[in-house]
Amino acid sequence: MPDLRHSPISRKLIVMNILVSAVALMVACGTFLAYDQYAFRQSLVRNLSTEAQIVGSNSISALTFNDPQSAEQTLSAFSNLPHIITAAIFSADGHLFAQYARNPTERLAIPGDAGGKATATFRKGEVIVRQPILFEGKRLGYVFIRSDVTEAGQRLVQYGGIAAMVLLLSLLPALLLSAIFRRSVAEPIVDLADTARLVSLERNYSVRATPTGRRDEIDVLIDAFNNMLAQIQQRDAALQTARAELERRVDDRTRELTAANRELEAFSYSVSHDLRGPLEVINGFSYILSAEHGPELNAAARECVQQIETASQRMAELIDDLLNLSRVTTTSMHEERVDLSRIAKEISDQLCRQEPSRRVEFTIHDCEPIEGDARLLRIVMENLLRNAWKYTSRHQQAHIEVGCEHRLGRRVFYVRDDGAGFDPAYANRLFKPFQRLHSAVEFQGTGIGLATVQRIIARHGGEIWAVGAVEQGATFYFAL
Amino acid sequence: MLRLRAWLTCLLLLPCCLYARGAAGPEAKPTEYEVEAAYLFNFGKFVAWPAAAQPADSRFLICVLGTDPFGPVLDRTISGETVRGRPVQTMRITRPQDAAGCSILYISGSESGRLSKILSVIQGAPVLTVSDLPDFVEQGGMIQFVLHDGRVRFEVNLAPAQRNGLAMSSELLKVAVQVVRGGGSH
Repeated sequence: MPDLRHSPISRKLIVMNILVSAVALMVACGTFLAYDQYAFRQSLVRNLSTEAQIVGSNSISALTFNDPQSAEQTLSAFSNLPHIITAAIFSADGHLFAQYARNPTERLAIPGDAGGKATATFRKGEVIVRQPILFEGKRLGYVFIRSDVTEAGQRLVQYGGIAAMVLLLSLLPALLLSAIFRRSVAEPIVDLADTARLVSLERNYSVRATPTGRRDEIDVLIDAFNNMLAQIQQRDAALQTARAELERRVDDRTRELTAANRELEAFSYSVSHDLRGPLEVINGFSYILSAEHGPELNAAARECVQQIETASQRMAELIDDLLNLSRVTTTSMHEERVDLSRIAKEISDQLCRQEPSRRVEFTIHDCEPIEGDARLLRIVMENLLRNAWKYTSRHQQAHIEVGCEHRLGRRVFYVRDDGAGFDPAYANRLFKPFQRLHSAVEFQGTGIGLATVQRIIARHGGEIWAVGAVEQGATFYFAL
Repeated sequence: MLRLRAWLTCLLLLPCCLYARGAAGPEAKPTEYEVEAAYLFNFGKFVAWPAAAQPADSRFLICVLGTDPFGPVLDRTISGETVRGRPVQTMRITRPQDAAGCSILYISGSESGRLSKILSVIQGAPVLTVSDLPDFVEQGGMIQFVLHDGRVRFEVNLAPAQRNGLAMSSELLKVAVQVVRGGGSH
């Protein structure tokens, strides 16, 4: 038999029913058997006592007139009663007077006590009845009868057999009854368990367990379970609504922010664009002033005009950079194959032509062309190479290297110089607009170049980072 | 009283002891007369007398006719005993006419010569006649002691008992050596 503790409820119910009925029947049968044995023994003792009394009263004269033969003749009547093993008459002082034995070889067991009362003693398989013989108020002697009680054993076996048969026969109705109980008790529970399994497996909270309709604990359980499912469903719905509401709000905010950003960019573009007009005027008139009226001016005035020209040129550069920055984020992209090595060569040639006095060695490795917007990537290379060119300007001899390598399964391009470098502690500020790690006196610049580069890389879905140290040079890596 | 009971027990049961043990010392063996004395009074318990024969003084009288062979044994035996609730007493008589109030009459061996005369005197009276005399029951006596295998037994004649209105219990007849029906018609 498998472990009952892990078997289904219906089997438990069947086993329980059978066990309960079997135990009840066994107790009933046992009680009945015990009572039967008791009653049988009582009646046996009663019968033996009566027989002893009859024998005793028939032996009075034999005892009185000392005639053992007569007494033995009386005792010999016991030959009709096969259950009597031995019988004997003792005189009042305890001496054997007459005896009878069913079987001549059988010996008379002489009881120890010689009290005056009638007694019945059960030993294993036999009973000894002792009956005093009274006559005219005097005790003349005793009658002893030793009888076997094998009939009690036979009855026990017989009745035990009947009890076993009743037990087996009652198994059938017990099984039928347990089937009925199973329908009313186990099936709703099994149904509930199936529903619970379905709910937890499929996360389907719309199913419901079927109520039994009987007002019992199982029905209460099913009701409670269904209520729980309904509550979960309600909460799910509420959660869904809340999430949808949140998403809608995020979308709204994003849309608003995008719009605001676009407005801001348009504003800065138009401001930069509009600033160009007056600047051209300032530039133009300061040129006329120095070209046509230069000789008329004294030295101090010429210095002032010079300052105005320098400042307005710097402002023009700033405006150009700002316009570039906003264009980078607004113009549409055209994907094509771009050869970054070739672009780097062109830019380096241009830089050497512009400042032939500088001694800068370029190493440009050949790299596989990549997909991207050619115009924007040219801006990236130009900014990075011009930066390298600029920050090596204080060194007599400089070396700038452009190349590519494979890192973590992607192609990474780099531009390396051995110039002024930067403090790694401020590396995160490198790509923020208008943030400069060096003063304008040291190196000229607007602080917009690297911000533009970062935006272009971001538009390509790539990443840019820099490694370097003060006076140790800098390396800019980017991956698309 | 205790002594008496012990005596009685001995009287009644010593033969049993002997029978059970098969042997006993000579000093324990009761004499023939002691046994007879005990039987004499026990007969009273197995014989029914007619109701009209109950004496007014309600004694149960055992009479000895002729020379008393018992000596003190008989009186010792019956002392304090009762038969059917009546105290037992003894009386020695010499004439059969004096036996009118007796329940049991023991006829001594000395009366062998006039036995038939005695019996004819007793005839019709509710008296149980007992004797050692040979052929007592054949001559019309009721109970006769006999020695049987060295033990005291008795023979019974039912006819005179019935004639005199006495009813002998079947229990008594069961232990009798011989039951005679008739003879000794006087």
